[in-house]
Amino acid sequence: MIIRWVCGKCNKKWIYPIEKCVYCKGDITKQKGTKIKVVGVTKVFIPSPMHPIIPYNILLLQDEFGNRIPRKTMKDYKIGDNFILQKAKTKDAVAVVKVKYDIYEAIKEATGLLNGIELNADDKILIKPSIIAAAYPYQAVNTNPDFLNALLSVLFELGIKKENVIVAEQALIGSDATDAASKSGILEVCKKNGIEFVDISKGPFEEVESDGYKFRIFKEAMNRKVINSPIMKTNFQLVISGAQENLSRLVDEKTQREMYFDNIEKTLPKLAKAIPDVFTIADATNGMQAQGPLALGEPAFLNLILASRNATALDSVFCEISMLEIPPNNTLIKGIDVKDVEVVGNELDALKYPIKSANPHDSAHPDIKIIDGKACPACLNIMHNLISKLIGLRGTEINLVIGSMLTEDMLKGRERLVVLGDCAIKKMDELNIKSVARINENIDEIEQLVLLKKMLTTEGQPKITAVDKVKSKMKKLLSKVIS
Amino acid sequence: MYIKGVGMTKFGAQTSTSQELVYEAVLEALEDADFKIGDIDAVVTSSIDTESNGERQRLFSSVVSSILKKKVPIVTATAVCGGGGAALWTANKLDYDNVLVVGVEKLLSNNSMNITDEIMMAAERIYEQTEGLNFPAQNALVAQQYMLKYGATTDDFALVAYKNHKNAFFNPKARFYKKEVTLKQIKKSPVVASPLRLFDCSLSVNGAAAAILTKDKSDVEIIGSSLFVDRLSTFESEDMTSWQATTLAANEAYNQAGITPNDVDVVEIHDAFTSVELISYEDLGFCKKGEGKELIRKGITNLDGKLPVNTSGGLKAKGHPISATGISQIYELVKQIRGESGERQVSNIKYALAQNIGGAGSSVSVHILKRVSS
Repeated sequence: MIIRWVCGKCNKKWIYPIEKCVYCKGDITKQKGTKIKVVGVTKVFIPSPMHPIIPYNILLLQDEFGNRIPRKTMKDYKIGDNFILQKAKTKDAVAVVKVKYDIYEAIKEATGLLNGIELNADDKILIKPSIIAAAYPYQAVNTNPDFLNALLSVLFELGIKKENVIVAEQALIGSDATDAASKSGILEVCKKNGIEFVDISKGPFEEVESDGYKFRIFKEAMNRKVINSPIMKTNFQLVISGAQENLSRLVDEKTQREMYFDNIEKTLPKLAKAIPDVFTIADATNGMQAQGPLALGEPAFLNLILASRNATALDSVFCEISMLEIPPNNTLIKGIDVKDVEVVGNELDALKYPIKSANPHDSAHPDIKIIDGKACPACLNIMHNLISKLIGLRGTEINLVIGSMLTEDMLKGRERLVVLGDCAIKKMDELNIKSVARINENIDEIEQLVLLKKMLTTEGQPKITAVDKVKSKMKKLLSKVIS
Repeated sequence: MYIKGVGMTKFGAQTSTSQELVYEAVLEALEDADFKIGDIDAVVTSSIDTESNGERQRLFSSVVSSILKKKVPIVTATAVCGGGGAALWTANKLDYDNVLVVGVEKLLSNNSMNITDEIMMAAERIYEQTEGLNFPAQNALVAQQYMLKYGATTDDFALVAYKNHKNAFFNPKARFYKKEVTLKQIKKSPVVASPLRLFDCSLSVNGAAAAILTKDKSDVEIIGSSLFVDRLSTFESEDMTSWQATTLAANEAYNQAGITPNDVDVVEIHDAFTSVELISYEDLGFCKKGEGKELIRKGITNLDGKLPVNTSGGLKAKGHPISATGISQIYELVKQIRGESGERQVSNIKYALAQNIGGAGSSVSVHILKRVSS
């Protein structure tokens, strides 16, 4: 489809969305060309960072109104050919659509390519965005509010009643969902559209068994059609936070911890199977690259909408497009072979360019390296908060050990190990590996900070002494008095 | 305004910093004008803030102030490849006695992928950049439409490249100075974006060019100076084979100068791609639409033709350091008007025209210069 914004009075056309004609103040309507022909073709032989695979073709397409756009393709076309996008033939297909200044149209095109979302006017819908922490939209930590707004418009156009729609999410364990929803702009979109925002952490939950694993799943997710709307981000633990990871916050806190303890890569696919009706429409407008999934990552201007009934397929396609390297033992992304996935909209090779991947060992502090045994969101949150408070304080490198999926290989040759969180402490005991310090997750944050600071700023093999513990308790007391 | 002095560096792959390039070009312009830097009342600069060259130096007017030790109004006019012309146009509007104009680019300082990307930033982000429409591709689509509409061929494009390379052979400041290029080489060069080949594309180079404009009479007068800005994307135009910003700028410049295209004796055209030179013959009024190919086929725009075009070698063979290009065109025309062009000298010049384009016909300046009799 080719879109122009046209003044109803003077017929001037824009390639950008505008609301009023600057010449005659006339109202603007969208002109959508659907009968599209190829009027020009060039085969390009020079690569660029966003287009590393050559040769590729660029078509000059023209619609029935004479409007033109360029379009990249790996397929060969001739001048005069009709340009028609094929709709999906398989149920696990993934649609990938580029946003041309209009997220609403891109969502419509993506879902249309998958032959529609299959909704009835009376259906009850749960939209599950990613809102993991209090962050502004430009930081790309959470689903873009403009994306949610466009998605709601698409649903309303299908006849869905606003009283039948809820937007539900819980932030990372230890963070407040409503605070996060407010800062992310999502709450405002909900209010504007008359939609209720629901904090999943408050429940209720119901126990569901899937492939022999017990989950306590948010009841509404079992009773409604779920529109899974993650923002596509890099993730230092899982390569990406995408369609599958977003579902992990549809369960209660205890289940989340258990899922990570029992290997999130194995438990997440079971959870995906347990939720009866999930359709993913993913926000990759401004996604995230580098040290995601929190604000240490960088916004990546990807300008894409992805959609699929199969969350694993969607994640795999995103990784393929982004040219992210998947570790051989990663079963989450490799749960499906991307070669077996039907991709509609744009071709994979025409979309591919490398975004910055997350380094699993890097933190926001140059002297704190991470050894991650797939820590749960609770420990991740504690870790990020602690490290952020130590930025600017140089010291001797320490290796912060988190998560339960630790192995001897991961720890081999690493010195100055500081273990954070009960799961990691337990696993270190099982492996019989010594550390210089252990930080329990149930002690106060100030105490945790004092301990970590000492580890960072003390040479050799520092130990936490009784004096340190007293000092940290006094600091805690002092902060309480001051507050 | 009059042009009192001009200067430019050699266009090439030198490792000099932007500051050094500016200094070299300005020094030559001052000497040419017999001026001291203290005589300058204002400066207009142009540079695209190339990130890939590692300089990361954004407040360029103050950089120029530091180099020249000048505390005067210094403004920066940018229009990517058309920046030099836009700077000249701005300087010509300023109400100062003596204005220095200087354009510079240190472009050739990274791998070709990153340079391609750097230049692609001048294309529209959502419709063009994300679709891989780099500048060769953008101009390839235009060239194809032009060929389909008017029957021009890739052989015509090759003739443009051949002509400009022949001219650059005689230009000591050109990247291809004393380097012979055959028509066969041009036609056999690899396809970059079909139908355009490598030798249809201008050369990314480093360089700077400067001019000193004065209110005092000199031997070269600016009698036409026009700048028009149009849409960013060519596909937005009703007719992709004619760039309206050129026709508008040319018409205004001819009106200011009180001349017609027939009066022009020598031309510097923005041949970022060989196809652009043909289209520009038409948009500048040197022939009717669709007849640009005849000018090159008949040799009219050759050095010894009726209307020599790109005697410097043009962007094609002299080189194209983005923001310096427009001022380097003025350098060439001033030298031609004064009779200082050596082996590439055109005889009996009264009027000279320079066309400088930013983007694919997005920002176009046209300047007409006149030889002033003493």
